[in-house]
Amino acid sequence: MTAVVETEGLTKFYGKRRGLEDLTLEIHPGEVFGYLGPNGAGKTTTIRLLLDVIRPTRGLARVLGADPRDAAIRGRIGYLPGELALEGREKASEYLEFLAGVRGGVAKGRIEALAERLEADLSVRMGQLSKGNKQKVGLIQAFMHEPEFLILDEPTSGLDPLVQQEFLAMVREVRTAGRTVLMSSHVLAEVEHVSDRVGIVRRGRLVAVEDIAALREKAVRKVELHFDAPVPEEAFRDLPGVRELKVEGASLRCTIDGRPDALIKAAARFTVVHMVSAEPDLEEIFLTYYSEDVHHAPVGA
Amino acid sequence: MPLLVRKTLRDYRRALIGWTIGICLFSGMYTSFFPQMRENPDFYSQAALAKYPDGVRKLMGGLENITSGTGFLQAVVYQLFVPLLFTMCAVVLANRALAAPEESGTLELTLTLPVDRKRLVLERFAGLAVALLVVAVVSLAVLAILGSAVGLDVSFDRILAAHTGLYLLVLLFGTLALAVGAATGKKALAMSVAGAYAVVGYVVNALSADVEVMKWLNVFSPFHYYSEGNPLVNGFPIGDYLVLLAATAVLTLTAVLSFDRRDVGV
Ligand SMILES: Nc1ncnc2c1ncn2[C@@H]1O[C@H](COP(=O)(O)OP(=O)(O)OP(=O)(O)O)[C@@H](O)[C@H]1O
Ligand SMILES: [Mg+2]
Repeated sequence: MTAVVETEGLTKFYGKRRGLEDLTLEIHPGEVFGYLGPNGAGKTTTIRLLLDVIRPTRGLARVLGADPRDAAIRGRIGYLPGELALEGREKASEYLEFLAGVRGGVAKGRIEALAERLEADLSVRMGQLSKGNKQKVGLIQAFMHEPEFLILDEPTSGLDPLVQQEFLAMVREVRTAGRTVLMSSHVLAEVEHVSDRVGIVRRGRLVAVEDIAALREKAVRKVELHFDAPVPEEAFRDLPGVRELKVEGASLRCTIDGRPDALIKAAARFTVVHMVSAEPDLEEIFLTYYSEDVHHAPVGA
Repeated sequence: MPLLVRKTLRDYRRALIGWTIGICLFSGMYTSFFPQMRENPDFYSQAALAKYPDGVRKLMGGLENITSGTGFLQAVVYQLFVPLLFTMCAVVLANRALAAPEESGTLELTLTLPVDRKRLVLERFAGLAVALLVVAVVSLAVLAILGSAVGLDVSFDRILAAHTGLYLLVLLFGTLALAVGAATGKKALAMSVAGAYAVVGYVVNALSADVEVMKWLNVFSPFHYYSEGNPLVNGFPIGDYLVLLAATAVLTLTAVLSFDRRDVGV
């Protein structure tokens, strides 16, 4: 199977300003790829390069097996711009029909169905749409022709929580149908429940590509154990992966890196009456990528 | 008609109606003064000569013979004001083809449609050409009808010849604005370049009879090819009009090639 996106040393400088440097990345068919990074990291730059809105300073990109300059492939892509601008007196529904027409038409009733799901009012003139409603129109146009590959630049910005949930459901359906998604975001929480993999960019460089399942395994989680009698601290000291250990009488608190196996086995020697384990906090790992210069992190597909 | 051309025209619709009404009102109003002028030929030609100093009169095309139908039409419609107004219309509409949507950010989504960039520019150019043609045809009809109503006594084929020149002239300036917009994405720049070229071109042409340098420079002035053949008197100056058309074609090609090469929205 050919990769949906394949880049090699993809680099973009805006004059002297670095937008993106040396991006080598592969996105596989059927996966949802979360593209994460703080403001100005280079997410939009990457996406615009893939869509041939801007041209690389050097490096290569292939999308759906073709050069991004090949206009024909863009009919197989659905794109939501990060800075979506819609204006004018035209009604949203007319604009959507125009876009559908240029892309060779969409299934009958498809636009209406999407509008209903996202609760978008398409009879409003585009210049008068609220921010959230613009975003909905943007989502509808990206999804309506059931493209093989969806590129969504900060898709959830401006959406209220209920609509965000609906949107995530739409992404899951796309994945179930075997199609591919690239979506960018500032926060992991937005993409972690739908993504298979995430890539993290900082200051124009890809600093990590992680499998979400693997990330979850590595994640720090807080654990609390309560025993029927006080336990000795020595029994838990120096267990692999256990940090911030605090034993107070019959209760134990710690954080775990990765697997809780060693802790569980150590605890099994005593009588556990109660155990609390918080959801792994991926955000915490993620923030370390944001704030430090992480060069040793695994890079590549 | 291709979808993108249709869409361009739909986007132009309101502006187009406004400009058409404006240009028709303007030329219609002036044309309707003709009967008064004919009643008092001496008074008006004296007034015209007296009212403006020599230099200004030259800039306005001499203002001779304004009491004949042909001279009158030339002076009040084809000489200065209508070309000026129509050029403004062309430049404003041309900017809405690429530069304005690029500045506002709406061009990004259009670019990601399965449409080749070259074709996008060509279709936007076609939309502009059709839009300007609409203004030209409507104003031609108004002029022809009103002209015969007030007894201008200029035959339709002469008016058609002059109007064709007017159309080609403004299409050239519009295409220049389109090309600058396509190459740079800046609408203020596109408007300034096209506007400056129109003004300088006009002045050069008006003064070319008297000033030697201007005569040489005049080969670069679109107004030279527009007015040299005096189409209201002699009919179609085919060669001159072909020059205008060729320049438009070159500019269109420039627009296509330069837009195809660059980053958009940067
Ligand atoms: N048109 C431009 N001209 C100059 N520099 C630019 C331009 N667009 C982006 N940059 C620079 O390139 C870098 C990457 O920007 P980009 O828009 O790709 O970031 P991003 O990850 O999308 O950020 P955000 O989360 O804020 O949308 C930034 O430093 C930015 O200042
Ligand atoms: Mg961005």
